[in-house]
Parts: sequence; structure tokens; C-alpha cells
Amino acid sequence: MLSLLKRYRTLLIVGVLLLYPFGAFLTTGRRGRDPNFVDRAVIGVSAPLQRGLIGLIDGVKAVVYGYIDLREVRQANEELRAENLQLRATVQALGETRAENERLRGLLGYAEAAPGPEIPARVIGVNPVAKLLSVRINRGEKDGVFRGMSVVTPDGIIGQVVRATGGWADVALVTDLQSRVGVRVQRSRARGTAAGAGKGPLRLENMLRTEDVQEGDQIITSGTDGVYPPGLVVGKVTRLEKTEHGMFLGGDVEPAVDTTRLEEVLVMGNPFGAMVQGPAGGSGGER
Amino acid sequence: MKFLVTFALALLLLTLESVVVQQLGLAISRIDVTVVLVAFLAVRANTLEGAISSFSVGYLLDLMSGQPTGLFTFLAVLTFLVGKLVVSLVEVRGRAAFVLFAMGADVGHGLLASFFTWLTTKEGGVASSLLPGLPLQVTLTGVAALFLYPLLRRFEASQDRSSSTGLLR
Repeated sequence: MLSLLKRYRTLLIVGVLLLYPFGAFLTTGRRGRDPNFVDRAVIGVSAPLQRGLIGLIDGVKAVVYGYIDLREVRQANEELRAENLQLRATVQALGETRAENERLRGLLGYAEAAPGPEIPARVIGVNPVAKLLSVRINRGEKDGVFRGMSVVTPDGIIGQVVRATGGWADVALVTDLQSRVGVRVQRSRARGTAAGAGKGPLRLENMLRTEDVQEGDQIITSGTDGVYPPGLVVGKVTRLEKTEHGMFLGGDVEPAVDTTRLEEVLVMGNPFGAMVQGPAGGSGGER
Repeated sequence: MKFLVTFALALLLLTLESVVVQQLGLAISRIDVTVVLVAFLAVRANTLEGAISSFSVGYLLDLMSGQPTGLFTFLAVLTFLVGKLVVSLVEVRGRAAFVLFAMGADVGHGLLASFFTWLTTKEGGVASSLLPGLPLQVTLTGVAALFLYPLLRRFEASQDRSSSTGLLR
């Protein structure tokens, strides 16, 4: 028996090396697994490397572009002053509207949803596998970032945290094939789902054919998927497919944020809510 | 030892790639540096060493994908074994031949990855949305192989001098 094992040692080892990961893939599908000790150790080595490289590139960029930017800074400063005045006026007006809104909500008996913390983070790398669209950020469990939390920029949503370790987290982008976001048409409040298509625009799904939606409509999060807070910009409807038959209409939603050029992001959501959510392969759809 | 060196090299290359891709803003295409490494192992390493090293390279790729499922570990070992079979039938000698070999390995790797991804997502038209990115991906991988080959050979030669068996041999 021992001699047999010795004789076929290479074949056995290679067989195990081939079949073990395949078995793991067949059992976990695309959900993945939680990081173990070895995973955390490897990420602990690669993530600081990524951060160091990003820092180096940023430093070189700062030196190169510094001089060019300096020449245009006076004009930009004047423009920003004017813009700042306009924005302050807008904020003041919005403050009034918010106060009125809160008063009306109070009158109607609505409870204010706790938005949770907003954690600024830096994108330090992109997942090297083209089949899964995700990025790595420099905030993790010790910063209060947990699996299931949403990631946004001031322009719109980016994705959700699919794995968090000590000081790093991986974020699956809204454009990933597995991503599903509960959405609403801002103008008509019609509900649907924005699904990732791998690249290009998101697909509009589960929206009733009779709903009022037009090309150019702004799409926002509905907040019903338990991942993204309501009211965040997702994108704009660029194409609609309205067939005469069938229950739902289809279409394309151009994401508000170019996910290929991410630098600074915000991680949002209640970390405890995110933790109890369990495996986050993509948020739940609508209807 | 070879396993550790390959692991460290793969970690370095993948880290570099993830940062470069982020800076360049490549939407869907990636450079399959791991396939280049696995192809080199198929040409130069023996079956056991190569399989263990390919396993470690695939594990890294799986880990850096954000959702480790084992798919890329499996594909790395499979690519190595198929590559080893090809090398036993066709002679791969010189930089140009290696580049073609690595590109061929990347086509197989890419097609299998798309197939298994489609198999698990069960989304209609997924393969058609991923496959158009394959030619660019294979080309970029070919370019990477062109630059990595002399580096890997030099690395191997330096290890040969320090050890009688050789590090990547």
C-alpha cells in the first residue's frame, strides 16, 4: 500500500491540487468564502504594497502636475469663490426645505432612518480578474467597515463591501454581473432593479411595463434592498425597451460614476446592520 | 523554495497590476500575469513543482479577486497541466515561441473562466458580454510575456548558479 502511494505520489498530489479547488468552487459557487488566517496574512502583505505604490504614483503625479496647476490656480480660485457663494445660498435654501420636510415627516409620523457613519476611503487597487469587477480600499474592520456596507461618491453609488479584513476591504462594483440594486425613477417614483452587466450600462429590470419611465430619467436607490440608503444617484436611463407583450420593460442605465476611474470613496451604512446581513453576493432586487 | 519564489513573484506582479489597472482605468481588460507565470512553469518546471507553484499562483489570484471561490486556483493548475502536455508535443523555445504559448494558454484560461462564470451566474448572454474583452486581454498578456520572459530566464539562471537543482527548473 505504502509503495503504491509512493509510486503514484505525484499523480495523487497533482490530483488533489486540481480537484480540491474545483470542489470548493462547485460547493461555494460565486459567493466566495470568508477570509481565513492565511488569506488575512497574504492580504496584509499585498495591501500595504498597493498603498505604497499608489503613494509613489501620487507623489510623482503631484510633482509633474503641480507646476501646471499652479499657473491656473488664480483663475480657478476666482471661479471657486463665485461657485462657493452660489452653493452657500443653495445650502441655505436646502436647509429651509429640510427643516420643512422634517416637520412634515414628523406630522405624518415617519421615523428618521439612521444613516450610519460615513467613512472616507482611498481606492488602492483593482481586482486583477476581469470576470469579477471589484476594487480594494484602504479601510477595513478596524475602521468600522464590514461586509454588506455600501460604497458611494458624491456623484453616485459605487458598490458594496464583499470582504473586509483588518485594514482593507474589497468592494464589488455595481457594474459587476452579480450586482443588483433596488432603484426608483426619481421623477415618477417607479420601482425596479438595476443589474450589473459586466461592462457598460446597468440593465433596468423588474420594472412594470405600465410604469412611467422615459429616456433621460434620473435613477436613484430605493433603499429597499437593505444595502444602499434611499435617494442616492445610480445613473440615467439611456435606452428603453418597451415591448407590447410581457410584464416588465427593459432598458439601460448609464452609471453616474465612472467606476474605472475611482480614487476617493465613502463607505456608508450601519455596520451592525451590514454584519447581520450575511453573505453579500449582490443586493436583493425589487419586487 | 521554488514554490515560495513563484508565490512572491506572483504577489508582486498581481499587486503591481492591480495598481496599474486602477491608474490606467481599464474597464474590463486585465493582463493575465499569472497565466504568464503558469506558462513559464509549464515550460521549465517539473510536474510536481509546477503544479504546487501553479496552485499557489491561482490561490493568489483567487484571493485578490475579492471573492475567493477556488475557480482560479483550479484553472491555474489545469492550465499548467494542459500546458505541460502541449510542451511535450510542441517545442517551446525562445521568446517568440513563449509569447505565443502564453497567449494560447490565456485564450484557454479566459474561455474556461468565462464558461465557469456563466455556469454559476446563470445569466443569459454573460459569455457574450465577457468574450469581446478577450482579444485585448490576450494581446496585453502577450506583451507582458514578451517582457517577463527574459526576466524569468535571468531569474532562473541566477538561481541555477546558487543552487545545483535550479529554482525555476
